[in-house]
Amino acid sequence: MSLRVEQLRVVYGDRDHGLLALDGVDLELEPGRITALVGESGSGKTTLGKALMGLLPENARVGGHILLDGRPLLGFSETDSNAWRWSRIAMVFQNGAASLNPVQRILDQVAEPLVVHRGLATEQARKQAGRSLEEIGLSACFHARFPHELSGGQVQKALFAMAMILDPEVVILDEPTAALDSMTRSFMAGLIGGLRPRGKAVLLITHDLELADALGDPIVVLYLGQVMEVLRGGTLFDTPRHPYTLALGRSYPRVGALKDLGGIRGDAFYRRLHDHPAGNGAVHRPSAAADSAQEIGHRATRGCLFYPRCTQAVEECAQAPVALEAAVSGSLRCRRGGIVSRLQLEGVAKRYGPVQALAPTDLTLQAGEVLCLVGETGSGKSTLAMIAAGVLDPDQGRRRFEGRDMDQWLRRDYKSLARRIGVVYQNPAEAVSHRLCVADIVAEPLQIHGPLPDPAAAAKRVAELLAMVRLPSTQEFLKRYPHELNLGAVQRVCLARALALSPGLLVADEPTSALDPSLQAKVLKMILELQIENGLTLLFVTHDMGLTRKIADRIAVMHAGALVEIGPAAAVLNRPLHPYTRMLVNSAGTGAAPAPVRPIRPAGCAFAQRCPDAMETCWHHAPERIGADPHSHEVACRLSATELNFSHDVIDVHRQATNPIDAEGGPKG
Amino acid sequence: MHLDPFARLQSDPWFLSGLVLASVLGLAALIGPAMVPYDPHDMSFTPLAPPSAAHWLGVNDGGMDILAELLLGLRNTVAFGMSAGGLALVLAVLIGVAAAWTGGWADALIMRLADVLLAIPAVMVLIVSAAFFRPEPLSLALLLALLTWPSTAKGIRAQALVIKNRRHILASRQMGASSGRIIVRHLVPELFPLYWVGFAAKARMAMFMEATLAFLGLFDPSRKSLGLMISFALKYYYLDIWWNWLLPPVLALSLLIMAVTFLAVSLEKRFDPRLQETL
Repeated sequence: MSLRVEQLRVVYGDRDHGLLALDGVDLELEPGRITALVGESGSGKTTLGKALMGLLPENARVGGHILLDGRPLLGFSETDSNAWRWSRIAMVFQNGAASLNPVQRILDQVAEPLVVHRGLATEQARKQAGRSLEEIGLSACFHARFPHELSGGQVQKALFAMAMILDPEVVILDEPTAALDSMTRSFMAGLIGGLRPRGKAVLLITHDLELADALGDPIVVLYLGQVMEVLRGGTLFDTPRHPYTLALGRSYPRVGALKDLGGIRGDAFYRRLHDHPAGNGAVHRPSAAADSAQEIGHRATRGCLFYPRCTQAVEECAQAPVALEAAVSGSLRCRRGGIVSRLQLEGVAKRYGPVQALAPTDLTLQAGEVLCLVGETGSGKSTLAMIAAGVLDPDQGRRRFEGRDMDQWLRRDYKSLARRIGVVYQNPAEAVSHRLCVADIVAEPLQIHGPLPDPAAAAKRVAELLAMVRLPSTQEFLKRYPHELNLGAVQRVCLARALALSPGLLVADEPTSALDPSLQAKVLKMILELQIENGLTLLFVTHDMGLTRKIADRIAVMHAGALVEIGPAAAVLNRPLHPYTRMLVNSAGTGAAPAPVRPIRPAGCAFAQRCPDAMETCWHHAPERIGADPHSHEVACRLSATELNFSHDVIDVHRQATNPIDAEGGPKG
Repeated sequence: MHLDPFARLQSDPWFLSGLVLASVLGLAALIGPAMVPYDPHDMSFTPLAPPSAAHWLGVNDGGMDILAELLLGLRNTVAFGMSAGGLALVLAVLIGVAAAWTGGWADALIMRLADVLLAIPAVMVLIVSAAFFRPEPLSLALLLALLTWPSTAKGIRAQALVIKNRRHILASRQMGASSGRIIVRHLVPELFPLYWVGFAAKARMAMFMEATLAFLGLFDPSRKSLGLMISFALKYYYLDIWWNWLLPPVLALSLLIMAVTFLAVSLEKRFDPRLQETL
């Protein structure tokens, strides 16, 4: 048994004012699998569910095929549809109470399909309905109640029982956990997970991304009626490949995540039929740069639907429609092959005289992520950051920026690379010329990359930038010199200067160290806002672990010129693998290093002297290099590497906790 | 370094006395010749007449008014010193900054050339070329500048090398600024204090040199100059004219050199001790 959807296209309304709700959706629901369907409101999730049930309103025009065991379901009359509807395909509707009959008792409503489809006697049907209600935890005292006398959770259970009463092969759940408290939600999650061993083909339509991530496999991401990405279960938050999936995941308030909520810039629009190239109307050409947030998302494109809101879109994304293509696991609809990597460092190293400031190091920065580089003074953080920024040339190794050889780019066209990278230096007072006033400092990058249209435009941009970093732009302030300002203000002037050209990568070495907490909060919020709006990638060097918690997507820990641990922020902070990271996280008492026990061999682990768990082998063999893979939690430690798998299970505790009744327990898929 | 370098100088007695002297002498050189009612080349007065109400400093052996001669000579000396100092400074800045910025073999080459020039005695070259070619004073000033830029250029280069690696220059470079922009906008203004020191030293030397050459009669004899006045006055040392003819040009020259020396010393004291150069 399987339900297949091929090239499903649904248009609401007439030919002139048609609203394109679904556009060429392919989907296959297999027995024993839960397919999760996620996306923002208006993405066509519910339309798809209703189309499968044959319950679309009259003004909907449907194209494509829906095949149940190879037999088409579309184009049948209402009576024919009734033959498979509910007995073979059942649905738990969104907005629970509203889809129940308010003047009928729960028990009768759950029993009704048995009477209608199976022709059972009323009494027998009631008995069976009562049993199934009790099975899912709705005790007998509630059976005789009317829908308005039940709580939201109880209604949801009743709806679930009603959908399952005829033991259908395909179950469609539309927002089964919306508006439920977390206990009831867990319970529902358990019920849904329990459908898998029973061989049901489940379509889980939900906003609840955590539920989708935990239960769904595959997870289908829908945007404006198109499938953007199909991914494997459990990878929605950790390794999304489509920028939309990433942004969606970042917007979701996860209990386990530490970082502040993100979002997706702009708003989704509805697709008018004549906006679409398949229609015969004119097509709007999006301008190269969006001017205001309101405008983003309201422009139609011939190319990728997500183009107006995508932070990594290039011109060609808007040129032609993008096809859904098979990817490593699942499939992906993205001209750029998913989230691009902004910067790749391969084996970069730096030596100052006899001191190896940076051992050969790999690091990959993906577009739109915040990577925090932490470690003690002298651990090589700043060296690595300055190499990443192109300020410092590594002695060896390769750098790639946006897919191009960065060293070559630096030699050939320094200027065009310079405007893509903003840098905030460690010591702000030194990083500005004391012969320039505030206005000139902030305007310098604008002047370099000019010509500016007119002085008024430049002044406006300077004022805008100063406002971003919460500085005034009065004439009096603009004419002040750095030595007349406090360090915090100079630091913000530096930040404004670094952001002047709207860079794609911001390398910031302790950019908020001189700010008081309230200002720091405001400035960081502004930076995160840029991350959402412009897809700003941030390499953030800091000592402050608390700060890291609030802003990092990923954390890289450095010690003695090498990366010792790297991974998703929550994983690194909640479950540090390297003994050094553990010291940093529980920073108490890490001040003094223990006296050297014995000299480290050049080949040994640099941390062995201070490591409480150093083994004999640590003195002789250096751990392996890490950092190239932007998706995994890695550690450069012989001891901890063996614990890696174990610890991943611990990190996943939260995910497991959402469905405690999940009978399988083991890995999904 | 942006702090106004002249703020602290205002309480420096060296600087103040130098400034007063320089202002008085500068003013005299600038407007003096116009204030005297006589043309210094007018030879129609009684030769060797003592000072009187009409001729405050008397008349010289050629029947010319000594005051008019003195003021024009002062102007010529100051003008020569300023132009030679200015030219030397321009050369020193251009060469010093270029050497520091390019570095490598170009830097090495320029610095060796500077060493060679430092070893050549400028006075000898000037005396020889003045005697043989009878050049215009401006050409001579240029020649002097060409011979004396090295010491200032070395100071400028050393400081430029330090400033070149300052963070804000690196930041400007990172922002994509061209070398020209960085040099004009960041490097040259940073070196500002050195210019005063360099200019003062060169101008002082040039003034002294001008007086020497004129004294030796290597300039056009019709060109009024303090050195020439001293040279003529000395021929009549047996007359009682030393106080009205010999003393004024000697005093003017000494005060001029003093003024510039005081300014140079105080400026140099004020700015970084690392910026030392031979005065």
